[in-house]
Amino acid sequence: MESDNRGVAVGLTLVLAVVLSLMPLSGDWIVWKPNFLLLVVMAWVIHWPNDLGIFFAASVGLLSDILLRMTLGHSVMVFTLCTGAIALLSRWAKYLSMLQRALLVALIITVVAVLEASVFIFYGRPSAIEHLPMKILLSMLAWPFIDRLVARLQPKQG
Amino acid sequence: MRNVFSRSSSLLRKLLVVTLLAVMLMIVDSFTSWLKPAYSTVDNLARPLYWIANIPLRVQEWSANSVTPRSEIESDNLRLTKESLIYHGQLQRMSDLAAENLRLRRLLNATELLQDSVLVTEVIGVSANPLRHTLTIDRGTADGVFVGQPLLDAEGLMGQIIEVHKRHSTALLITDSSHALPVQVLRNGLRSIAEGNADYNRLNLKFVSPTADIREGDELVSSGLGGLYPAGYPVGTVLSIVNELGDSFLKIDIDPSAEIDRSRHLLLVYTSRDSAAGATQ
Repeated sequence: MESDNRGVAVGLTLVLAVVLSLMPLSGDWIVWKPNFLLLVVMAWVIHWPNDLGIFFAASVGLLSDILLRMTLGHSVMVFTLCTGAIALLSRWAKYLSMLQRALLVALIITVVAVLEASVFIFYGRPSAIEHLPMKILLSMLAWPFIDRLVARLQPKQG
Repeated sequence: MRNVFSRSSSLLRKLLVVTLLAVMLMIVDSFTSWLKPAYSTVDNLARPLYWIANIPLRVQEWSANSVTPRSEIESDNLRLTKESLIYHGQLQRMSDLAAENLRLRRLLNATELLQDSVLVTEVIGVSANPLRHTLTIDRGTADGVFVGQPLLDAEGLMGQIIEVHKRHSTALLITDSSHALPVQVLRNGLRSIAEGNADYNRLNLKFVSPTADIREGDELVSSGLGGLYPAGYPVGTVLSIVNELGDSFLKIDIDPSAEIDRSRHLLLVYTSRDSAAGATQ
């Protein structure tokens, strides 16, 4: 793929992630649904760390806040922390196997989600922390598809 | 090696700056309404995405309707005809009771009961944030929808409108953790507040004293206090009552009457006080 098309590739994956995020589900599935936007952002940062980083993640986080009707800044912070951790490890993350990358993503999402839930619990707000294991598991299962899609779409180096 | 460390420190600086900006944004958004227009603009721009996100559900509904066998349609038709007859009979009795109620209220010089009218609407989007229980419906200012308007499904109260656009609106559901609704026990009129707790299948009843006359299985209806929700609509059934030693109030779980996470077709309620442009009886 030519580098001119990089914006289109990123845009397309983000639109796909937004549609998956907005897709109505019922019952526990709505709580278990992976954060597709976050997974797509993390995949792009792993595969393309020199061009996409913290500011890209913060912008997508802002979009997520508005679309999901959260307090503005909430997803900005979550996306920034997760992407920051991935960006710090991106030189090594590229050479990990798919399973190892899925585990790394799961670990980062878990740490940030537990921090997020702790803040909610501190303020006496519902945190849905009991659904976290299932959400992490489904995120891990979704990761290989997102990772492969982004790897195929990323512009060739050199 | 030096490059790696300089890159890491620049990354950490960026991380710190963006995190601080995010915290400031959260404070501004929580305590002011300066950023609300942004929600409205992006919401309008994102309409096509909501429509696309609903396609799988529509396809599923369409295919389910298309492959229904004739025998099933006939039995459904028969059942609906019977139900219609039963409801017509009950409605006649209701009219009689309403008239009697009105006469009694006149005798007591009480305010007349308001006659509610409704407008059918369809759910076109559900909040993807599991901790924020909102949904988007296909009616807006063009249909006379207004902020604060109550929303029902066939079984009971669903929530209230919090944002209105030209062709669509957003409703806050009664199960959202920021929602509270004045209710009363149908059996004895005991008043309380039903609060959401971000669980689609549960509400909590607040401030009920351990000596209050309330039992498992009691039905709760809206009390009409507060002036937002009309009185008498089903809210839920008492599921469990826990009286913990030392607590001033009972812990009461309510099973909502409305099918909060399943209903597709809803009713917008207009009382005679409301401007009811486009409403149908």
